[in-house]
Amino acid sequence: MTALASTSTGVAVRRRDVDVVRALALVEARRMLRNPLLWIGAGLSLWALWSAVPNPEAWAGAAYQETPVAIVPFVLAVSVVVAISFHRERVPVAGAAPIGETERSVARLVAATPLVVLAVGISAFTAWRQRDVGGLTLGVEPGRTAEALFSFGELAQPVALTVLAVGIGAALGRRTPNLVSAVPLLFLLWLATSIYWLLGDHRVTPFSIVQAQPVSLYAGPSSADPLTFPAHWLLAAPDEFSTQWTRAFVSDGLAWWHALWLLGLALLWLSVALPRPARRSLIILGATLAVLGVGGQYVVLP
Amino acid sequence: MNTFASPLVQAARPTSRAMPWRPLAAAAVLLVLVLALLRASGQPVDTFLTVAAAALAGLVVGALHDPAATLLATVPVPIAHRRALRLTLVCVPVLTLWWMLTLVAGPSSASHGPGPLMALAASGVAVAVWMPSQRGVLVGVSVPLAWYALDQLVPWTGVAADVSGWWRTDPWSVTACAVLLLVAGRRR
Repeated sequence: MTALASTSTGVAVRRRDVDVVRALALVEARRMLRNPLLWIGAGLSLWALWSAVPNPEAWAGAAYQETPVAIVPFVLAVSVVVAISFHRERVPVAGAAPIGETERSVARLVAATPLVVLAVGISAFTAWRQRDVGGLTLGVEPGRTAEALFSFGELAQPVALTVLAVGIGAALGRRTPNLVSAVPLLFLLWLATSIYWLLGDHRVTPFSIVQAQPVSLYAGPSSADPLTFPAHWLLAAPDEFSTQWTRAFVSDGLAWWHALWLLGLALLWLSVALPRPARRSLIILGATLAVLGVGGQYVVLP
Repeated sequence: MNTFASPLVQAARPTSRAMPWRPLAAAAVLLVLVLALLRASGQPVDTFLTVAAAALAGLVVGALHDPAATLLATVPVPIAHRRALRLTLVCVPVLTLWWMLTLVAGPSSASHGPGPLMALAASGVAVAVWMPSQRGVLVGVSVPLAWYALDQLVPWTGVAADVSGWWRTDPWSVTACAVLLLVAGRRR
């Protein structure tokens, strides 16, 4: 009888917790979605994606490489919006609230779910736009295509980046003493990730945040005959930045492993934001995913 | 010693202890790391230096945030002097960092003077001083970042493009205007 009573009490407590988390998440989600910064960021990203079309005056692959970077204004906005939410944990009265910090943090994370859904929408827009313009150009003859489309792995990147943006925003919002320090740091962090001409380097790409494929790999010296390279290779000719023939390497597998690396990083950042009981498991899981993600990318890279 | 400077000199050490230096240290590490990577791989650094100017300007404006402002409102040192002290304390390491960054960046066709950094920081400080609410500093911090975004991310044409690029093309005029605004609002 005692066992039955305690079980039913436990179920009631759990149900009450779920109700409280749901109610808090609804309030927080409404606050996040009403922030104009989020919509400005989304608008800038959509405009950048709309503009990423093949341009005969730009280098081959310019639109393809610029497309992943277009998400940066949106993820910066997501980070700031989440940081504002988590910064409320630093208000002194939060400690005396009737529910614990873990429940409040979980509610804030649940409230960020609509932001991830928005990222899915932006990925869908990217896929539609690339088909609408008939595909993007990549490479130079004899290794060239004018119908390149993002793979599922590459389209998943904005979603993974948004999850990471939630993690970074939560960590900086919760741990920096004031938002006036967190906002410039978030700006710097995300703008630094948008240097796609650095991120395409094969030594940097496994550790990059925004992965801008194609990855540049050595194909042969400038004197090489490009017709001797394998027919399926996409190529970049020697120019002012490179004195050799370069292989433009694009891979769906590389993108998926990179997404795993981003999810690992997101969990590591979340471990900074959340209170102690959840921290250790997040660190272990995040580090495992991050190591697997980097390792997988090295396996895929030729 | 000057009766105005003396209290400020005495307040310099406790004020510097109360200011948050970790965000600036984190920004410095990130900036030097990315610039070193760019330099090592032979990639252009000019675009990233404009990002650095905006972020550092934001951090300079953020130094105006004083959690004890209400408490200190009753002391006989004017608010303008207290702000000047905080700005001096943060500008010394920021300008040193900027100088270091230009060394790491190496020779370039573009000028790497501190003008754009000063223009963005002065504009942000002016807005922070003139904003009436308690969120004035947060709005001021957003000014350099928003100005950068307006200039670099929005495809302006004509006059709008010129105005949005003033912080790069005519930084000392922007700084002078912002300083005039600051002087006008010194009692706010």
